[in-house]
Amino acid sequence: MDKFRMIFQFLQSNQESFMNGICGIMALASAQMYSAFDFNCPCLPGYNAAYSAGILLAPPLVLFLLGLVMNNNVSMLAEEWKRPPGRRAKDPAVLRYMFCSMAQRALIAPVVWVAVTLLDGKCFLCAFCTAVPVTALGNGSLAPGLPAPELARLLARVPCPEIYDGDWLLAREVAVRYLRCISQALGWSFVLLTTLLAFVVRSVRPCFTQAAFLKSKYWSHYIDIERKLFDETCTEHAKAFAKVCIQQFFEAMNHDLELGHTHGTLATAPASAAAPTPPDGAEEEREKLRGITDQGTMNRLLTSWHKCKPPLQLGRGEPPLMGNGWAGGGPRPPRKEVATYFSKV
Amino acid sequence: MDKFRMFFQHFQSSSESVMNGICLLLAVVTVKLYSSFDFNCPCLAHYNALYGLGLLLAPPLTLFLCGLLANRQSVVMVEEWRRPAGHRRKDPGIIRYMCSSVLQRALAAPLVWILLALLDGKCFVCAFSNSVDPEKFLDFANMTPSQVQLFLAKVPCKEDELVRNSPARKAVSRYLRCLSQAIGWSVTLLLIIAAFLARCLRPCFDQTVFLQRRYWSNYVDLEQKLFDETCCEHARDFAHRGVLHFFASMQSELQARGLRWDNAGRSPEPPAVPEPPEVLDSGSGKAHLRAISSREQVDRLLSTWYSSKPPLDLAASPGLCGGGLSHRAPTFALGTRLSQHTDV
Repeated sequence: MDKFRMIFQFLQSNQESFMNGICGIMALASAQMYSAFDFNCPCLPGYNAAYSAGILLAPPLVLFLLGLVMNNNVSMLAEEWKRPPGRRAKDPAVLRYMFCSMAQRALIAPVVWVAVTLLDGKCFLCAFCTAVPVTALGNGSLAPGLPAPELARLLARVPCPEIYDGDWLLAREVAVRYLRCISQALGWSFVLLTTLLAFVVRSVRPCFTQAAFLKSKYWSHYIDIERKLFDETCTEHAKAFAKVCIQQFFEAMNHDLELGHTHGTLATAPASAAAPTPPDGAEEEREKLRGITDQGTMNRLLTSWHKCKPPLQLGRGEPPLMGNGWAGGGPRPPRKEVATYFSKV
Repeated sequence: MDKFRMFFQHFQSSSESVMNGICLLLAVVTVKLYSSFDFNCPCLAHYNALYGLGLLLAPPLTLFLCGLLANRQSVVMVEEWRRPAGHRRKDPGIIRYMCSSVLQRALAAPLVWILLALLDGKCFVCAFSNSVDPEKFLDFANMTPSQVQLFLAKVPCKEDELVRNSPARKAVSRYLRCLSQAIGWSVTLLLIIAAFLARCLRPCFDQTVFLQRRYWSNYVDLEQKLFDETCCEHARDFAHRGVLHFFASMQSELQARGLRWDNAGRSPEPPAVPEPPEVLDSGSGKAHLRAISSREQVDRLLSTWYSSKPPLDLAASPGLCGGGLSHRAPTFALGTRLSQHTDV
């Protein structure tokens, strides 16, 4: 359990690690989905190729888009791309980095599906059974005598053992073996190519623009963490707001009822009950509100967050947050530098 | 146990996470339900379509309603929709946001069922075996139309003696399953593309309004939860005091009648002075509950909470409950403050 918890915490530590975990799960799910999926070649001349192409291409596309959809960074990327610059300039390199990192992770599950499909061979067999070289593999002398549609209809049934009736022309086993062999060769080449590509990209990248890469990586993590913290702070604020609102509601009712009561047990209540002291926790709740205590101010805060994000510079004094910011940071007073050169003779 | 606690804590961290967790759970339950369901096509001409389509559509409807039921936010949304405006104006945008979030989560499990059913193919084969065009298949050339219809109705049942080991049955079944899988994958692809576009393009439209609506719908949800908790606390205190008052009054009644708690042989002891009820009320945190101590007052508090929610402005003096007990002037200036910040 400890190990599990450690893995869970590690994967949760930031969005990239989390996405790595999701990626792994989706790759496994992709392989599992393939084995659970009941491949069902139609064995009709026109439909075989369409069905196989569909099965080879549609699920990878679905898995790729699913990988992107499940990645919270997609909406973050779109937000970062579309926001007004405000007081924080936009860096296209960061956007490119985020996009590349998302796309790379989302590509793993489709690659697994395509690899598994090719290595298994059923899809390839279904697609290309009508293109088998009958003259080389079967009774070559009988083939030219058949009209093309009849030949196509016969060969289209090769993937379906229970309805194949062309043994006199071409033994089914031979065709299946031939096509599966090609399919597996293609599958292994595909796996080799993608692994090689991944290896080259990973090892060669530090040779180019490593400094820029480090910067983009840092700021992309920063944006992700900032967004998460903002959401958490908003939730805390909403909780504190709700608590104080409800306390005030109860106090108001209390106050009204005490004013209205002229007899009963309240006549003996101590005078201090007229202004009830708030419970101890109320003060810290009010602090959590950070001075934002009504709907209009909160709405303005949220608008400013989108339209005019604060500059990436802490401790710069207290510029007004609620006004319309202008792009670019405040100019520093121009520093005059004087360089004096002494010649050494 | 640790593992469950960890999952539970992670999902409890915000109400959105809770709802996502419920959504996922329902999807997993759907998959399990589908795989354990024993599909049983009737293989009779008019009942096939009914059974097949019924199984394709009725369980998703049930799962959709279950998804709505399991989601707390649907109740919160309806409450927010139907409450009187009172001191707090209503924002239809927030209600729309909550509605769309509830619907999206409730639609996940039904879609999982429909996709599984289409990719598996049994429902489709059962429902549409009678609608297949016999001309596509050469094996039906020498059968009368009624024989063809009878044959087609039996296609979903592999073990039926009429169609057992018949290549025509296999061809029709294969054709229908292929069609069903193609439709299933197309529907999946369309849904995923729609979800992807929605996610990508949302920041391009009205991002500020979206942030506001998300914040305030989360606020409404939290406020309702906190109010329920506060009412529970109040009810506990109320009950505690009620029980203590009851015991104290019983004790004083018995002592007033001169009954003694000790044995008959001893000399009567002077009855102890009953403690004044106010002492029972002492204790931290009860000051703010002191006035709300009868059924009518609690009822009035709850109906005021519904009919006239307090304004979203904490800096103003504590608001009123609409009616006429208070002698202070109502602070209706709040309304103007709320409406002036419509655009920045």
